[in-house]
Amino acid sequence: MRGSWRSKLTSSLFVLPYFVCFALFLLYPLASGIVLSFQDYDMLGSREFIGLENYKNIFTPGTLIHDLFVRGLSGTFKFVIYSVPFLVIVGLALALLVNALSNRVQGFYRTIFFMPYAISATVMATIWMRVFDTDTGFLNILLDKMGKTGPHIGWLNDTPWVWIALVFCTIWWTVGFNMIIFINGLNEVPEELYEAARLDGANAWHRLIHITLPSIRSISTVVLIMTIIASFNVFAQPFLMTRGGPGYETTVLLMNIFAVAYGQHQGGAASAMAIVLGLIMMVVSTVIYRLLSGRRG
Amino acid sequence: MRTKINRLLLILLATAIGVMFIVPLIWMVTISLKSDIEAFLPDLSFIPKEPTLINYIEALKGGDLDVPIIRWIFNSLIVSTVGTVLVLTIDALAAYGLARLDVPFRKALLSMFLSTMMIPGIVWFVPQYILFQDLGLIGTYGAFFLPATAGVFGVFLLYQFFLGYPVEIEEAAYMDGANKWQIFVRMFLPASKSILWTLAVITFMGIFNDYIWPYYVSGGNEDMLTLTAGIAVMTHGSYVNYPNKLMALSVIATLPILIVFLLAQKSIVKGIIHSGIK
Repeated sequence: MRGSWRSKLTSSLFVLPYFVCFALFLLYPLASGIVLSFQDYDMLGSREFIGLENYKNIFTPGTLIHDLFVRGLSGTFKFVIYSVPFLVIVGLALALLVNALSNRVQGFYRTIFFMPYAISATVMATIWMRVFDTDTGFLNILLDKMGKTGPHIGWLNDTPWVWIALVFCTIWWTVGFNMIIFINGLNEVPEELYEAARLDGANAWHRLIHITLPSIRSISTVVLIMTIIASFNVFAQPFLMTRGGPGYETTVLLMNIFAVAYGQHQGGAASAMAIVLGLIMMVVSTVIYRLLSGRRG
Repeated sequence: MRTKINRLLLILLATAIGVMFIVPLIWMVTISLKSDIEAFLPDLSFIPKEPTLINYIEALKGGDLDVPIIRWIFNSLIVSTVGTVLVLTIDALAAYGLARLDVPFRKALLSMFLSTMMIPGIVWFVPQYILFQDLGLIGTYGAFFLPATAGVFGVFLLYQFFLGYPVEIEEAAYMDGANKWQIFVRMFLPASKSILWTLAVITFMGIFNDYIWPYYVSGGNEDMLTLTAGIAVMTHGSYVNYPNKLMALSVIATLPILIVFLLAQKSIVKGIIHSGIK
């Protein structure tokens, strides 16, 4: 009975509901997004094929689309460069710390470090805007009480503080995710390796450099690439906390893609911008993956 | 002796970092218990001088600033629950089919589903919005939860779980005359309760916490916002000068999700690890 024409038909019925949802809500938008990027669409009804015009505009200095794209991409790039090293290294450091604790308290501290991950972007932003507020924020009052004099720091209004603030609250919000993956990686390092190193008289630092880090190499690559992709998708922190300011300093590309689609009513240009961003992300993550996994070890 | 001191130092370090993780959350609760004036005083004590529940009462009653928060809570719970049930049902069926049944083009379907995981969501965000506009679903509940049903994550998670199920028991059931549907319902579903729970928690939290999509597909109708999207609007809207009211709203929005998180932490970790490593 299995493998027959009839069996194949009934088996397909199991996959059918998901396939329909997938095709309708993901595959179709994906395809129509590509088509849209070659069109001029006012987000209401009138469409017109304009060939590569949208892409040309992105790469032609002086056009509005070019300005919005470049400005946004530069903000996104800065966020990626500033945030990724910290998100990966702090994630690993917390994982090492939790793993070094005794079994009885491990779960408690892991939960504490992971908890902010459950909080929504909007609540995260609401909390941290209160912490970073220039006049009445927690941080500046704390600095006052600790004896700092002079004007308050504009954590959300001045460079470079604004990047420090955005990166800091991003670490608080999402580093637990990386920590969890690192903890799992650390637990899979064979205990015998450490035993052997101890017999050879290696100290904790040597064990970290020569055993732990090489053993979690591949998992670190995965964490790095996932973090890069997540940071390229940055939106909530600057959109809610700085509105892209001061000036255009923290205006990221996702904000400008939404601005082009819903503010300028240029669906086609927004789609082209999104596709170029998608391609950049795929190229960057592929290159980094090749570089890291190409090496020996 | 030295290891004991080391242990102690490690605990102290972990506690110091832990305090940094907890303080912002406590601060949220502290401000939510302050009056309009006290909220702006330069006072760092975690217990307000005159604690008050007025912000919660006003938020829930509507108060002087008209915010349909009860409606938002209702919206959030409805779309998260319906979305989660739909995703679980659809994904479990598909994953079972792909993992255990003779579905034609099985390999091709799998790699098609998986390859979309590499594409960032922003690429289909605007066209997806246009699709819902064309379908006339902007400002309806459907627009909130239907996109979740296309997600690949759940299918992949359950697929991997179903693959590991021993084939002998399944064969024996076929010999006894059971059909595919019966085997799915009587054997696979009961055996995969924990992974289904994992998917349910992750899906529920994802829909509940999302705000960009609900913000746009609410179609500018304030009654059709979710709680999470509503807070984003309030941050720069009529609550902009009332951090205490904003924090009360935030506590209300965070409490249910934090409870789910703490209860289901093991399941969430399991889900992350399954999705992260492979």
